[in-house]
Amino acid sequence: MGNPFDYAPDRPEHIDAILNGLDRYNPETTAVFQEYVVQQCDQKFYDCYANLALLKLYQFNPHLTKDETITNILVKALTVFPSPDFALCLHLLPPHILTPASASSALPAAGDAPLSEAVQKLNVLNNLLAQANYAAFWSTLDSDDLYADLIADVAGFEELIRIRVALTISQAVREIERSVLESWLGMQGEAFNKFVNEVCGWATDGTVVKVPLNKENEAKGTVVRENVKIEQFSRVIRRAYEQPA
Amino acid sequence: MSAFQNGAAPPRAIDNDSDVEEEALAADYREQVQYEGMEETSMTMAQQTDDIQSRLAAAAQPLDFSAPLEVKFASYDNYCSLFHFILNSDGPVDLEPPSYYWAWDVIDEFIYQFNSFCSYRNRAARQGTNSEEIQILREAPNTWGCYSVLNVLYSLIQRSQITEQLAAMKRNEEPMAVAGDYGSKPIYRMLGYFSIIGLLRVHCLLGDFSLALKTLDDIELNKKAMFARVMAAHFTTYYYVGFSYMMMRRYADAIRMFSHILIYVSRTKNFQKNAQYDSITKKNDQMYALIAICVAFLPTRLDDTIHTALREKYGDQLLKLQRGGPESLPIFEELFRASCPKFISPTPPDFDNPELNVDPLEHHLAIFMDEVKTNMWSPTVKSYLRLYTTMDLKKLAGFLEVEPEKLRNWLLVNKQRSRQIRWTDNGLLDGEVVGSGDLDYAMQGDLIHISEAKVGRKLVDWYLRNLARTY
Repeated sequence: MGNPFDYAPDRPEHIDAILNGLDRYNPETTAVFQEYVVQQCDQKFYDCYANLALLKLYQFNPHLTKDETITNILVKALTVFPSPDFALCLHLLPPHILTPASASSALPAAGDAPLSEAVQKLNVLNNLLAQANYAAFWSTLDSDDLYADLIADVAGFEELIRIRVALTISQAVREIERSVLESWLGMQGEAFNKFVNEVCGWATDGTVVKVPLNKENEAKGTVVRENVKIEQFSRVIRRAYEQPA
Repeated sequence: MSAFQNGAAPPRAIDNDSDVEEEALAADYREQVQYEGMEETSMTMAQQTDDIQSRLAAAAQPLDFSAPLEVKFASYDNYCSLFHFILNSDGPVDLEPPSYYWAWDVIDEFIYQFNSFCSYRNRAARQGTNSEEIQILREAPNTWGCYSVLNVLYSLIQRSQITEQLAAMKRNEEPMAVAGDYGSKPIYRMLGYFSIIGLLRVHCLLGDFSLALKTLDDIELNKKAMFARVMAAHFTTYYYVGFSYMMMRRYADAIRMFSHILIYVSRTKNFQKNAQYDSITKKNDQMYALIAICVAFLPTRLDDTIHTALREKYGDQLLKLQRGGPESLPIFEELFRASCPKFISPTPPDFDNPELNVDPLEHHLAIFMDEVKTNMWSPTVKSYLRLYTTMDLKKLAGFLEVEPEKLRNWLLVNKQRSRQIRWTDNGLLDGEVVGSGDLDYAMQGDLIHISEAKVGRKLVDWYLRNLARTY
């Protein structure tokens, strides 16, 4: 987990070169970045720093904006919750994007009303995930066909989310009731067993699912002791030489 | 004897944190303040004799806030021609910067005018009342355009080879060896250097917080950095770095940045010239407000000086923030509004649809407030958990008058948010995940196991302080 924010293990060299040079501002590179987003969606990897560079190009050149790419980037950012990536993407979108539809639908000329609707819908999902309200997340996702359209391009979206949910659970839970976990993971029956046993490696025991102990969920008390370094005393020691009494 | 004490500066320990260094820096600063008077007089003489010198000086002069539109346009043209002269003359121009802080003032003023022009344009389009002005603005979409501003900053950075120079300095090599024809001249080196800090600021104003931090990769944030020689630069750098960290939810790092600079200011304020001090007082208060926000997100033990000042300035608000819940929301909003940078939108506004030109501040605030709402129950949850070592989830939900399911969510959220990425080494975006809460817990079915990290008494700081007082 100790990787810098701008690091992505799967980033190809040509993308890296653009990101580190002035070409990241060149409108002609939007095509390259867009292609890269498609790759991320298809091949289940993720590069937030590159996606932010694309959103910045859109920010500077609104006429180049492709709504579909924006929503795909946001959907990808959902799959890495609870990191701040989704919010960081939102910050680069046009300021009116989050104003409620009632205000913008009154404007016939507002060409990007569908985009702002989609972004607001995704923001709802993001907030549910951030608030760890996983059960509501799954039911909201099923509640509207628009969501199905939005996530269609991102391969394995539900699987990626489930893995993240499982990760956050493993940090805080040692044992959990099956029914609760089912609602959090949005799956039941055989699929549930398979995911919990094989992907997570957790044990099901009747109505209880046991999560193996790890560093985060043992909750061990510790005593932090002061770490004293000799450097802290350098001034005192030097004083003793400078001003002999 | 006095020569021994004052003439040769004692060798400084290579240590970021020692008091010695801060004092040396403070002394250095005091010297500069005394020099300033002299430099100003020599500058006025130069102005009379040398046209270019007066243009250089004019570029650093603040523009009146209420200046009419034509003046803002003219000022843009002036900057363009000045930077064009500096960057695109036949070879490096042979100029001495009027003062050691001139380069900072120019970049600072350049960005300030860009910033206020964008805000002004956006407001004009939103209000849509002054059709004459709107017409002028509509016809000049490229004046103070973000591409040209970024172009200036990046060109100054490239011309001066400042990144190469800084990289060489990091390797303990002679920067002049890689500086090239341009970068070896102080005027280019300083403009290039402060352009990096200018970029940090512009990216932050545009809402690109990760790129803002990435920009500083080559600059080492310590007291020996070049920006530390110019108080305003020092101050600005830490404000924007801290703010960017806060927006990336790295509160521990944000607090570290704000504390560093606030302590520095409180130590040096006694010998700062009044005018200069006034201008930073406002930013100073803003940073205290930001610290209050960060501490609410991530309870942290602050430096005593900061803590006292924070309680003086924002005592009531801090209490409410720390208590959390819906009552804290307006306070978060109020403090954020008062202390965030003046965000801008990089493109010309949509003059035909005034309603679409939402103030960028509202946009960033809305995103920020979502995060606040996500977190607002954490203080409540923690205050209860602190009282027990084991607790039944349903019983606690009863105390809190919420559904057990809701409480489970809160517990998960708080657990996630107490894990913070914290800087240890290398670039500012680097860091390691640290569980920063003093409170830890895990759920076993409906049973919550709670443990607390106890901090042993910290005596060294107290001991040293008293020792320093006595001797």
